[in-house]
Amino acid sequence: MKSLILFMLINLSTAWVSNALAHAVVTEYSLKVTPIHAHQEDKVEIFFNSKIELGLSQIFLVRKGDKHDLLHAENGKKQGQVLVHIPALDAGEYALRFKVFAADGHLTEDVIRFSVSP
Amino acid sequence: MAGIADFLDSLIGGFDLICFCLLIGGLFWGLFLLKPWQTEHGYNDALLQKTIQLIYKGGFWLAAAQVFKVILKIWLMTAILDRWPFPEFAETTQFIGGNIRAGLTLLLASYCYIYLRKNPFSKQVWIIAGLVALPMIISGAWLVHAAGRFDNRVTLMGLTVIHQLAAAAWVGGVLQLVNLWFLRRNQLVPVGLWPLLLHRFSKFGIVSVLIILISGLPIALQYINTWNGFIGTGYGNLLMVKIVLMGIALAFAWLNRSAVFAQRASGDSVALNTRVPHYIEAESSILVALLFTAASLASQPPAIDIPNLTASWQEVANAFHPRIPRTSSPTHEDLLAGEAGRVAIIDQVPSPAATAWSDYNHNISGIFLTVMSLFAMLSYLRLSPTSIWASDKLLVLKNYWPIGFVGLGVFLFFRSDAESWPLGPLGFWESTFNNGEILQHRIATLLVFTLGVLEIRARMLSNLNTRLPYVFPILAAFGGLMLLTHSHVGFQAKSAFLIQVGHTFMGVLALILACGRWLELNLDKPGKDIAGFISAAAMFQIGLILMFYREPLY
Repeated sequence: MKSLILFMLINLSTAWVSNALAHAVVTEYSLKVTPIHAHQEDKVEIFFNSKIELGLSQIFLVRKGDKHDLLHAENGKKQGQVLVHIPALDAGEYALRFKVFAADGHLTEDVIRFSVSP
Repeated sequence: MAGIADFLDSLIGGFDLICFCLLIGGLFWGLFLLKPWQTEHGYNDALLQKTIQLIYKGGFWLAAAQVFKVILKIWLMTAILDRWPFPEFAETTQFIGGNIRAGLTLLLASYCYIYLRKNPFSKQVWIIAGLVALPMIISGAWLVHAAGRFDNRVTLMGLTVIHQLAAAAWVGGVLQLVNLWFLRRNQLVPVGLWPLLLHRFSKFGIVSVLIILISGLPIALQYINTWNGFIGTGYGNLLMVKIVLMGIALAFAWLNRSAVFAQRASGDSVALNTRVPHYIEAESSILVALLFTAASLASQPPAIDIPNLTASWQEVANAFHPRIPRTSSPTHEDLLAGEAGRVAIIDQVPSPAATAWSDYNHNISGIFLTVMSLFAMLSYLRLSPTSIWASDKLLVLKNYWPIGFVGLGVFLFFRSDAESWPLGPLGFWESTFNNGEILQHRIATLLVFTLGVLEIRARMLSNLNTRLPYVFPILAAFGGLMLLTHSHVGFQAKSAFLIQVGHTFMGVLALILACGRWLELNLDKPGKDIAGFISAAAMFQIGLILMFYREPLY
């Protein structure tokens, strides 16, 4: 019986899956009201609900074909604000993909899709 | 290997809480209930050594879990960020706070092992152990959900620590009661200790539960600000599960309390010695599930932060709405053709074939369970010799309904993850160890299949002393725990929640099923039959949820 319980405990320990949608989430972002125009560099403001360890986070620009480019980001002056530097882009569909490490220890992934107008 | 790190990270949260309850709850038990220095109650060395063993073992395991948590974070970050996370990680609260807490826990466990174990009757040593615990308890505040918040951070951190302390007092106390019963059953402690400590714990438990509620309510109000947030988010949904599980645990606690007072009034100890131990076993399994749910809750974004991603109550109700089950599946080719568009970030195209594939899997599984549970429920309705069970053929079916689990296991093996082996292009090991969701499905399939084989075997055995029938409730409880943390990973929070909501309710029902069957195996009549019927009815409810399941298109 003991070995059976042990077997099942091992089963359980290999049967867990966490929720990828963790604690830190984007609560607001400037792309909602300020679109990005083609062929000019820009900055996107993103607000998180939690403190973000930016040194342990990555923000990617995703282009057509799901090609990823790592972007430079810095903390803003406001609470939870992160400023993301966007390079000059052609008109089209893009996305920002985050992998952020929140101060409460959770790693979160999220995506914001946006269009670049001509 | 990122998938393994990911789910171990969640698992360790629940394990951490169980160890915390053993350590801190055990100290509460010793200081406020047992009071070993009051020797007139006939405490003996066997009781004290076993009690203290649970405390320091919980402490050592907690320290190990804390260190393992930090290692897992490093592993996870290396896998996700594709680089070594130092030196940045060394400066985070999680790294510093985690290591400090591990060190303080180790100090406390060592004190209990070196001094408390050798001086179990010393009031002074128990009090010092309590004082040594204080810095460790306080250090945990920097590792909770609230540590990353901007508003009311300190208040929320403090309330969370109080909430955890009260929960540790309750759960740790129940685990000590289980320990006491084992000692009592093996006649290692005086007979009178069992009713005495049960009586003491009934008052202590009420105070613990009140503190859990008083500290939990403001936390809940801070994280959930609307009814929709309670009903329509993952955070609210898991909180609801916690409330339901707590209600079930309190129902068992009430049964225990009633038995204690009945014994005090009439002197009749039958219920106290034959039913209460099994109620406490069931209560402890519900409380362990509650701790894992609490750990899972901490990984959800609070409802207050995602008002635009919250499902309406109509959308939630629609997830449970009765409808004709889907009995035809799209072809495997249709499914794979839509997968590239479904998982794309740019130019994402929802896949109706993927949704229909999933609906079919869930609905057919529901039909399996509904039919099985109908036979199981009918077996309790042997009212007269003229009833349908008088027929020999149906009587045979009554014992063999668990064969449905075997069929369900085979069905799930082929259908669960269409993109991986045996149907899809991804290899077995590659898909299993790189994707937490596929890994969970594989284990669930194995559990279902094993459950069917063992339960049929158990029902065929004529040996009444075999422990094989107990495998069914244990596996069902594990299945319930898996469902409580079931996750379909995706970036669409609302769709992910609408998938999650059905699974978490099935998880609660699976725990009811497990507890019901456990009690059926242990209680006398009529409680035995009532528990058995509730167990089968819970399985029927799971079948209905699955049969009517519809996945949102995403």
